[in-house]
Amino acid sequence: MEAFLHYLVPLPVVLPLFAAGLKFALGVRLQRLSQAVSVVALAAVLVIGLVLLFGVDAYGPQVVQVGGWEAPIGITLVADRLSTLMVTVSSAITLCVLVYSVGQGAADQEEATPLAIFYPTFLILVAGVSNAFLAGDLFNMYVGFEILLTSSYVLLTQGGTAARIRTGSTYVVVSLVSSVIFLVAIGLIYGATGTVNMAQLSVRLGELPVQLQLVLQVMLLLAFAIKAAVFPLSAWLPDSYPTAPAPVTAVFAGLLTKVGVYAMIRTQTLLFDNDALNGVLLWAALATMVIGIFGAMSQNDIKRLLSFTLVSHIGYMVFGIGLASLHGLSGAVFYVAHHITVQTTLFLVTGLIERRGGSTSLNDLSGLAKLSPMLGVLFFLPAMNLAGIPPLSGFLGKLGLLQAGVREGTPLAYLLVAGAVLTSLLTLFSIVRMWNYAFWRDPDDGRPVALGTLLESSEDDSVMGPSSPAGISVVGGTRPPIGIGGKAVMTSDVFPPLMLAATVALVVLGVAYTVFAGPLIGYSEATAAELLARTPYVEAVFPGGVR
Amino acid sequence: MVWLLTAHFAAAALAPLLVRWWGRNAFLALALVPAATTGWALAQALGVVAGTPVGVRIPWAPEYHLTLAFRMDTLSLVMTLIAAGIGTLILVYCARYFTDDEPGLGRFAGVLTGFAGAMVGLVLADDLIQLYVYWELTTVFSYLLIGHYTERRDSRRAAALAINVTTLGGLAMLVGLIMLGEAAGTYLISELLADPPGGPLTTVALALVLVGALSKSAILPFSLWLPSAMQAPTPVSGYLHAAAMVKAGVYLVARLTPGFGDLAVWQYTTLAFGTVTMVAAGWKALRQNDLKLLLAYGTVSQLGFLTAVLGAGTRDAALAGLAMLCAHAVFKAPLFLVVGIIDHSTGTRDLRELSGLRRSMPAVFWTSVLALASMAGLPPMAGFAAKEAVFGAFEHSGSPVLLVALVGLVVGSVFTVGYSLRFLWGAFFDKPDVPPTPVHPPAPLFVAPALLLGLLGLVGGPASSLLDPVLAAYADTVPWNAGNDPAHLALWHGFNLPLLLSALCLAGGLALFRWRTAVAWAGARFALPDAAAVYRRIVYYIVSFATQVTGATQRGSLPIYLGTILVTLVAASALPIIQGRLWTLEAPPVRWWDTPVQFIPAAVIVAAALWALMARGRLFAVVLAGMTGYGTATLFALQGAPDLALTQFLVETVSLVVFVLVLRRLPPRFSTPVLRTRRVLNLLIGAATGLLVASMAYFALAGRRAETISGGYPAAAEEAGGHNIISVLLVDVRAWDTMGEISVLASVAAGVASLLFVRRRTRRLRAPAVPGRLSVPVSSATGSAQTDGEWSPLPLGVAENIVTVRAEAKPLWLPGVLALSQERRSIIFEVVARLLFPVILVLSVFLLVTGHSSVGGGFAGGIVAGLGLMVRYLAGGRHELYLTLGLQPGVLIGLGMTITTGTALAGAVFGTEILAGGAYDLHLPFMEPVHLTSALAFDFGVYMLVVGLIQDILYSLGSGIDEQMERERQAGRAPQSEEVTA
Repeated sequence: MEAFLHYLVPLPVVLPLFAAGLKFALGVRLQRLSQAVSVVALAAVLVIGLVLLFGVDAYGPQVVQVGGWEAPIGITLVADRLSTLMVTVSSAITLCVLVYSVGQGAADQEEATPLAIFYPTFLILVAGVSNAFLAGDLFNMYVGFEILLTSSYVLLTQGGTAARIRTGSTYVVVSLVSSVIFLVAIGLIYGATGTVNMAQLSVRLGELPVQLQLVLQVMLLLAFAIKAAVFPLSAWLPDSYPTAPAPVTAVFAGLLTKVGVYAMIRTQTLLFDNDALNGVLLWAALATMVIGIFGAMSQNDIKRLLSFTLVSHIGYMVFGIGLASLHGLSGAVFYVAHHITVQTTLFLVTGLIERRGGSTSLNDLSGLAKLSPMLGVLFFLPAMNLAGIPPLSGFLGKLGLLQAGVREGTPLAYLLVAGAVLTSLLTLFSIVRMWNYAFWRDPDDGRPVALGTLLESSEDDSVMGPSSPAGISVVGGTRPPIGIGGKAVMTSDVFPPLMLAATVALVVLGVAYTVFAGPLIGYSEATAAELLARTPYVEAVFPGGVR
Repeated sequence: MVWLLTAHFAAAALAPLLVRWWGRNAFLALALVPAATTGWALAQALGVVAGTPVGVRIPWAPEYHLTLAFRMDTLSLVMTLIAAGIGTLILVYCARYFTDDEPGLGRFAGVLTGFAGAMVGLVLADDLIQLYVYWELTTVFSYLLIGHYTERRDSRRAAALAINVTTLGGLAMLVGLIMLGEAAGTYLISELLADPPGGPLTTVALALVLVGALSKSAILPFSLWLPSAMQAPTPVSGYLHAAAMVKAGVYLVARLTPGFGDLAVWQYTTLAFGTVTMVAAGWKALRQNDLKLLLAYGTVSQLGFLTAVLGAGTRDAALAGLAMLCAHAVFKAPLFLVVGIIDHSTGTRDLRELSGLRRSMPAVFWTSVLALASMAGLPPMAGFAAKEAVFGAFEHSGSPVLLVALVGLVVGSVFTVGYSLRFLWGAFFDKPDVPPTPVHPPAPLFVAPALLLGLLGLVGGPASSLLDPVLAAYADTVPWNAGNDPAHLALWHGFNLPLLLSALCLAGGLALFRWRTAVAWAGARFALPDAAAVYRRIVYYIVSFATQVTGATQRGSLPIYLGTILVTLVAASALPIIQGRLWTLEAPPVRWWDTPVQFIPAAVIVAAALWALMARGRLFAVVLAGMTGYGTATLFALQGAPDLALTQFLVETVSLVVFVLVLRRLPPRFSTPVLRTRRVLNLLIGAATGLLVASMAYFALAGRRAETISGGYPAAAEEAGGHNIISVLLVDVRAWDTMGEISVLASVAAGVASLLFVRRRTRRLRAPAVPGRLSVPVSSATGSAQTDGEWSPLPLGVAENIVTVRAEAKPLWLPGVLALSQERRSIIFEVVARLLFPVILVLSVFLLVTGHSSVGGGFAGGIVAGLGLMVRYLAGGRHELYLTLGLQPGVLIGLGMTITTGTALAGAVFGTEILAGGAYDLHLPFMEPVHLTSALAFDFGVYMLVVGLIQDILYSLGSGIDEQMERERQAGRAPQSEEVTA
């Protein structure tokens, strides 16, 4: 078992890429086969992730020296507890989103063209995310980032509607800047240490003058903080995510920011062994939480509102990273897993809302609980989960972080505890507002869209973009829902079965985190211990000690 | 007891189904669950009171101190009986309160049953966190219950108000509980109370816990949510706001008093807030006209009473408080139920419109009399016995604080008598100017629960001495009693101060009732501000503050976002640089140049870069940017890196062509420049960033302590059997990176195609294109120009209006030029292109094959081949491009990716590791054996993908834009330029 385990490590990257290649080659031919290829590939990745999850837990980090080139000459892939957990959760999410988008594509009878681009690009995105998680080499991690970013550019501008391109350009430019910062930091690190192998860096960076370490650390953290949307580098996110089609926004919101968080965790635990920046991280976490949730309070569009809660809750994870204690990190790790799931779920549900109600604006929507009780349940559970209502996983993650903060006991930690609690309250406030408007109002109180209405996208749909004054959504502004390929969508009270099934699966997954909270939290704790110890990772890469 | 809880939640899940089957009678079935809980609790009662608590502990997540710990001691027993017992009666009552066709009844039934379960869980929980879990569950369920009439705006608002306020308190409490748990080292309540922690942090923790308890029990200043919550259906009010949810806060006070009752923060907070609430809310209740609101304020008042007594921290007060808590549940619930019955039977609950119900609904009247008598504290009711005990406990304590509080409690009790009378008079008695209200008589099952509870209150008084040992079992856990002998509950203690106070209360209440008009006037005159309005105002301020903050941070401007990022970068990096005085690091061996020739390209780069900043024309700027690239390539070449130089040159060339193709659709000049001040600011930010990066490059090298790993590369290349380190790195040592990068290229190709082609509504081609055959539109005027919607558009053979020319019938240098207009053709270019193309292809294959040992590689080869395609396109137009390669870009890219990833997988399957190299010597007749390596296969994949990418770019940005422009020309429009970037 143990001997064969490490063969699995590269597969979460290679399999989706292989499938993407097949799909490119197939083009618009053999649709069913082509879809089966992608679903099978991601399902396989999920299974591999689960096997690795147990394997890594039992046998320690699994290392692959790609091509047989020993570290630090070649590229190393490392599956330790953290990366395996991330790969597993992300593959579960991406599989559900893929099934959802298959359902959506079929339901909208999209032309084959956009989908012939959408699916392979989506698979490449998945490969990039997995690569970023598994990379044991800083430059390869950058490559992983590039893969996922480039495909995210494509997915975000799918269909090329004016709104998507306008908001997409904000996203692309900001992401490019973050990539450049990352790349510059890698160059400087290589210049200073002569290596990019992360295990080796964990030793060599420590030998540098302290202040030089700090600058390098600051640069890496900044590059990742842009991706993770940490205040004050977060403003791009609510401007760019909401215009994309539902499955795209879902996977972006759930996953992409967490890749940044993951990289921040690695920077703070593996690469740099100091606590000089923890205080700064805590302040950033506080600002992210509070200012993020302030943004959510005044939004009228569900997608935009959720984007702000996304930013805000990144603060929770940074809180855990900044505490840098066993419990803080374990709380952050658990919260990452929870937040990936719940945020993805909510955006997928929003896609269903859009399909049923013809809008995502709280001014238009009303009476959804009555019109579709199913939708009500599907929204309510993850929404309460996001708000951290016990016993759902959002509460458990928050609990871990609050306990860690109280245990830390410094005034700043208590301030963060207060901020976290305030954020939790205001999140609930925003969610209650959404629920009261969209789900509880009498169906005639809003501006109901009749069933069977064709929601065309107009070229000058200039409402939600960054051009709106001060970033606040314009009252009465509705952006027509658009299919994956930018095609008009018909409102309907029957949800395509695959879309529904994928959403239900994610809601159930979110609830399962509570049911299996014991083992999951145990795993997070073990992960945090492994991260703090640093040696398991380094020794797995260099069994004979770092050269 | 875990099973009982599970049964509640299972019943809750089933409830919608049951309601669908049986209509409102489903409530009777649901009532069985709390009834069973009540029965179970009664069965355990003897043992529990005797001092052997029932408990169970199941670990859940030990790292977070999460335990499913349940423990039933006396206090929990009493609370369980109240929550489950009254819950049972309420569910029975619901079976008659609602009609079968009530909208949302199934959901309501489920939530109410779930609520009952959460309440039972709350009082049984022996773990702080678990207690909070149920606490919040009751909050969420109550939100759904209060908002039951979802179409009413007031109802939705009340629900939101309730959940926001109680969660505010709840979260504060959570922090407090965690602080307590961490301070005590245990989260188990029983262990915590056995050894309570102390110190200033505990004080803060307790204050936070009290915020939660007070908000849940609607104590001032959190009391605002309860009166609004009367929007809920009456059974909800009866259950949540009399017996269950609001009791949670009181329960928590009672639960923790044995551990912390002697602390000033605990005593004074509960006493002060409790007493003030009792008086203020009682005063407000005196002038209510809505019976339900009267009860609501009455409830707030009584909750204040309970909080003050249970938090007082003496053994006797605890005994009296628990007795009062039981009495309150038994008299307040029936009163709410009575209001529901009256509302149901008459259609109103305004006491100004009700008259004569005393005669028309005698059973309801007598039920109310019993309950009100208990509330007012008249003998021989349970309420009387409890209130006597309270007065006695406070009087004996000897503490001045408690005596002051006693004054408040007496005043509050006077008000209680007053509004009890107002209720009785208002609901049932004849009013001179109001005609008797028409009544639709209630069903017996509708009245029975209320009557049963009323009778319990009647029995409870005389039986109080029997109940005394039960309640004392809790009270004795409070270790402080001010040196007094333990008091006992009884109906008659003889003539003493408490009895006098009771009489005083009665007299005062009668007086208040006698002069009720004056009281109502005074109440309106000296009213507290309307709580709901205050809340709305607070929310308004918070939201508008949030909006301002958001407006300030979320500018919606890309330049500002970029500026923020760069300024943060510079500021955050400059700090450690200056602090650490990095410039004092031992300087690295700086070599400013290798050969003076390097200065030429360097100067070109710098000049071109600066010039590009000032250029106003797009094309010009692109060319200048290209020059920086060529300059860099020259530097590579001079440095002795021919591979890098070659690749860089090729990439720059392709980029230039691509830019030119795209620029056809963009305005020739950049849009108007921004403000001068902004330009200066941007310049400063840019310069600072550049300076930072440049100086850091110096410092990083200065700080180097170890050898670079690149020292091992020559040996690695040797081992891989190649002589070109770069190439070996790309396709062998770091082939994993290459695999990643080519997938980046694949998504770029997809993105380019996506942006250009997907918006068109297109039909799929049926007839496949035949290479070597050329189709040209007959008349461009008819050109509806339906292109194929595939991402590799092949406009060949587009249906009828096409002539097909056999290429071989009309030999041409480049057959595609037939479709070009005469003035666009250039014979020389055509000839050169045709002659060069095979040469270019051979060169590209050569580069591919030799890459391992000398300059070249799949990437460079692919670009060269792509340049060949580019030449054919430029010379012969788009039709020529379509004819050049029979394969579509998607196929090339797909195959390329499949080959590279397949090679990678093959390494794992046949070799030792993923991407492991393998070799095979192919022996062909008459030739040297050909050495085939897996690296070559890998490189071939790269080659194909790059060719596919360039072909894709030409299809999209070249011929795709050609087509757009042709169509627009046909439509009589000038080529339209779009500004897409911000």
